[in-house]
Amino acid sequence: MENELRNAIRELLEKQEIDVAIGYGRVGVDGAVGAVFVTSPDDVEQIVWNDECRQNLAVHLTRPEVKAFGKIGIVVKPCDARAVVVLANEAQVDLDLLTIIGVVCSGIKRAKPDGTTADEYYAKCETCVQHTPQNVTLVVGDVAEGEALDAKNEQNAATAGNNAKLAKLRAMTVEERFAYWREQFSRCVRCYACRQSCPMCYCNRCVADKNRPTRIDTSASLKGNFAWNILRAFHLAGRCVGCGACASACPAGIELDLLNLTVSDAAKEHFGFVAGTEFGVDPLIGTYADDDKEEFIR
Amino acid sequence: MAKIGVFTCWCGENIARNVDVEAVSEAISKLPGVACSMDYKYMCSEPGQSLIASKIKELGLTGVVVASCSPHMHLNTFRKTVELAGVNPYLVEMANIREQCSWVHTDKEVATAKAIELIGMAVAKVRRNAALEPIKVPVTKRAMVIGAGVAGIQAALDLAAGGVEVILVEREPSVGGKMAGLSETFPTLDCSQCILTPRMVEVGQHPNIELLTYSEVEKVDGYVGNFKVTVRKKARYVDIAKCTGCGSCWNKCPKKVPNAFDYGLGNRTAIYIPFPQAVPARPVIDADNCLRLQSMKKGKELCGICLKQCGTDAINFHDKDELVEYEVGAVIVATGYKLYQITKEQENPKLQGYGEYGYGKYKDVIDSLQFERIISASGPTGGEPKRPSDGMTPKTVVFIQCTGSRDNAKGITYCSKICCMYTAKHTMLFKHKVHDGEAHVFYMDIRSGGKMYDEFVRRAIEQDDAQYHRGRVSKIEEVMVDGVKKCRCYGADTLTGKPCVVDADMVVLANAMLPSSGVTSLAQKLSVGYDGYGFLSESHPKLRPVETNAAGVFVCGACQGPKDIPETVAQATAAAGKALIMLSQPYLTREPEIATVDERLCAACGACVKACPYNAISIEEICDRKGNLVKMTSRVNPGLCMGCGTCVAVCPSKSVDLIGFTDDQVYAQLESLLD
Repeated sequence: MENELRNAIRELLEKQEIDVAIGYGRVGVDGAVGAVFVTSPDDVEQIVWNDECRQNLAVHLTRPEVKAFGKIGIVVKPCDARAVVVLANEAQVDLDLLTIIGVVCSGIKRAKPDGTTADEYYAKCETCVQHTPQNVTLVVGDVAEGEALDAKNEQNAATAGNNAKLAKLRAMTVEERFAYWREQFSRCVRCYACRQSCPMCYCNRCVADKNRPTRIDTSASLKGNFAWNILRAFHLAGRCVGCGACASACPAGIELDLLNLTVSDAAKEHFGFVAGTEFGVDPLIGTYADDDKEEFIR
Repeated sequence: MAKIGVFTCWCGENIARNVDVEAVSEAISKLPGVACSMDYKYMCSEPGQSLIASKIKELGLTGVVVASCSPHMHLNTFRKTVELAGVNPYLVEMANIREQCSWVHTDKEVATAKAIELIGMAVAKVRRNAALEPIKVPVTKRAMVIGAGVAGIQAALDLAAGGVEVILVEREPSVGGKMAGLSETFPTLDCSQCILTPRMVEVGQHPNIELLTYSEVEKVDGYVGNFKVTVRKKARYVDIAKCTGCGSCWNKCPKKVPNAFDYGLGNRTAIYIPFPQAVPARPVIDADNCLRLQSMKKGKELCGICLKQCGTDAINFHDKDELVEYEVGAVIVATGYKLYQITKEQENPKLQGYGEYGYGKYKDVIDSLQFERIISASGPTGGEPKRPSDGMTPKTVVFIQCTGSRDNAKGITYCSKICCMYTAKHTMLFKHKVHDGEAHVFYMDIRSGGKMYDEFVRRAIEQDDAQYHRGRVSKIEEVMVDGVKKCRCYGADTLTGKPCVVDADMVVLANAMLPSSGVTSLAQKLSVGYDGYGFLSESHPKLRPVETNAAGVFVCGACQGPKDIPETVAQATAAAGKALIMLSQPYLTREPEIATVDERLCAACGACVKACPYNAISIEEICDRKGNLVKMTSRVNPGLCMGCGTCVAVCPSKSVDLIGFTDDQVYAQLESLLD
């Protein structure tokens, strides 16, 4: 399948349908998998595909230096494909300049604290129901029987695959849940790796970096950490696609994906809204409809 | 360095009763940046204002805080004061220590402490205020009037007389509205058509008025002085430029349907003019009922008699709706009312209906507008009072007032205002035509305030012998009495304390007034507020009665609340006057307190664009000198922004700020509370 992916990208580059391909490659000093930017058909051997491809490459699409390449081809897993949809719906990417290369994915394995790969899949992958990417230009890999290519189905849900964890959190009392997050956030060092790894955090200057006035406490204290992580979760309401990039990037091992998913789950429960399943959908937050269910707002 | 002057007002006793003003003034004088802290009995009075002006000159103040009443009351007063003294008017802040402090607290100590905090917040804010200049926007000297009943006609004629071009939009095929269907009008009993039709003709002929009948507002863009309104001209199937209104088409049309202008009491043809005095006096084809147009849907070409009859080739069965955009500076909404349909099934689930009156079930239970048609000389009976079921001349008629109105239990709390008067009129008109008839009125109270109004009701009772019973009717049922169908009304007379049962030949219900259908969607297009019933909200009930909170949009007539013809006409003239004042300016000035985007930092996610209730924000490109795209950004149209701040709330990176209420200012206010 790795070869199939390389061939597809080589062809796109040769035909000049793309100017750059963003894919996975062994870029770390110890051979860890990260993003590679391939501009020549001769370099496609750099591209790899395996169960260590943890990052969500969509995060690079909004960077001005990447946009400067021109026509972009991007390798996406099924969960990452939803992020591209949200970015398109928020006018952050130009679909005319984008070739979305979806890869059929059978799960990604966790990294151990030392950077090596554990023999254990992410929980979201254990229960994932969407192995074939949706809303993509082309699909690489063998499409499993019964998985439609472009059907918008409920199982696309960002929350699918995380239900067990959410259920655990929901079963807690308010006090237990607060204690749980207090323990989690107490470990945050405010490195902002979550922000860097998240495709949705594309602001030119984050509100956390603004200091006239200072909106949130920037110290790595419990108060500041609560403010930051909850603010980020709120900013992801109706936008988080559940790719888990934040959690896998977090050096403190905070279950950030779970935090953001609680908000996604609320979006689904109250508004029937699942982020990243369809192009051309208005974002959930801030959208006004004449037939809103709440009369006071009309 | 900031030199802030703080001026605390006693407001006579209003503030001083519950706030120790001298202690407040003393405490505030110690705040950093406060150059002087004074108090005075009436700061808004001439000596009070002079005190502020003299301190500005003496100390060279850079900012002023007036601690007194609500800024709604006196912000403009004090802005003028400081402007005359040479300070930018936007360097004034008010701390409301009356409505939000002295009036709502009884403990003087607590209220005094709170007043100090409120003033401290204002001082923190004013230190960060910037000198602002009002925004100037150009004006299109053209107005649109929506609705061509008596209100719209009056407003359009006044605007046109003032030299302004008017686009008058009416969704029905003719102008005239509800008034065109009335018989005679209170309190003078002059014929409604006689006073209205000359006005209708005038709007049809006035060189400054472009009349768009059978048309509806589809979309509204733009802002005060510069609206772009898209109007849907519905397919009429008749070219009114070619048509001469000769009538040969509608005289020969074979298809008969109930005439909505007669509220279903009479019939019209499928190609029709709603009434003989219609303006324009040109027919329209009712596509739902036309045999030809219906057959064309099935690929056939039936009937077509009108086409053969027409001598000027004016009929066009292939006519289509047309969308036309108009640029106007002001909009007057005059969409009028409809009657509350009191049957059990209600469009609005909050309203309960009056199934017990049998309206819609018993043919002889009619509403007041139907009765107007029955006694109108141009109505389906030619003015002869005949009841709908069998055409018999009714001898006993029961009139029931407040059907729907003033009934909390059934959903409408307000008084419809005109029913007492027109019911008195109905009894008189009925008695004038049926001399031996009996008119019974069931009422809750008689509300007849107005010039010659009470005299009019007294005349109905004393000279025309209308029987007034103070009480409600609980039920109506159809019975046969000596072989004649009667509507038996089970009422009560609370003045005698006895039940009062009347066998009526006909019952007329004074149904409540509701705003006409579709008004809420129009209001949403225009960003005009409305109440729970759909009546449009004026900007201020006393001081800005025809303005709305959407700048450049005015209201008049029954779309704003129940009112009679004299009041409607007065309000229409007022709205036209206000619009003329606006359109006569070389440019409009607007408050500079609007949103602004930091375009360097905006990520152009579009959250603000979608959240803006005024469509004031758009996504724009920033290009370098060679025209290469540098980045995208959202941008606020200063003419359109109302300064509500919704965009600030939704912006994830806080790249948008509200001038005059910046995050910097608001956070400073909050921080001053925490010190």
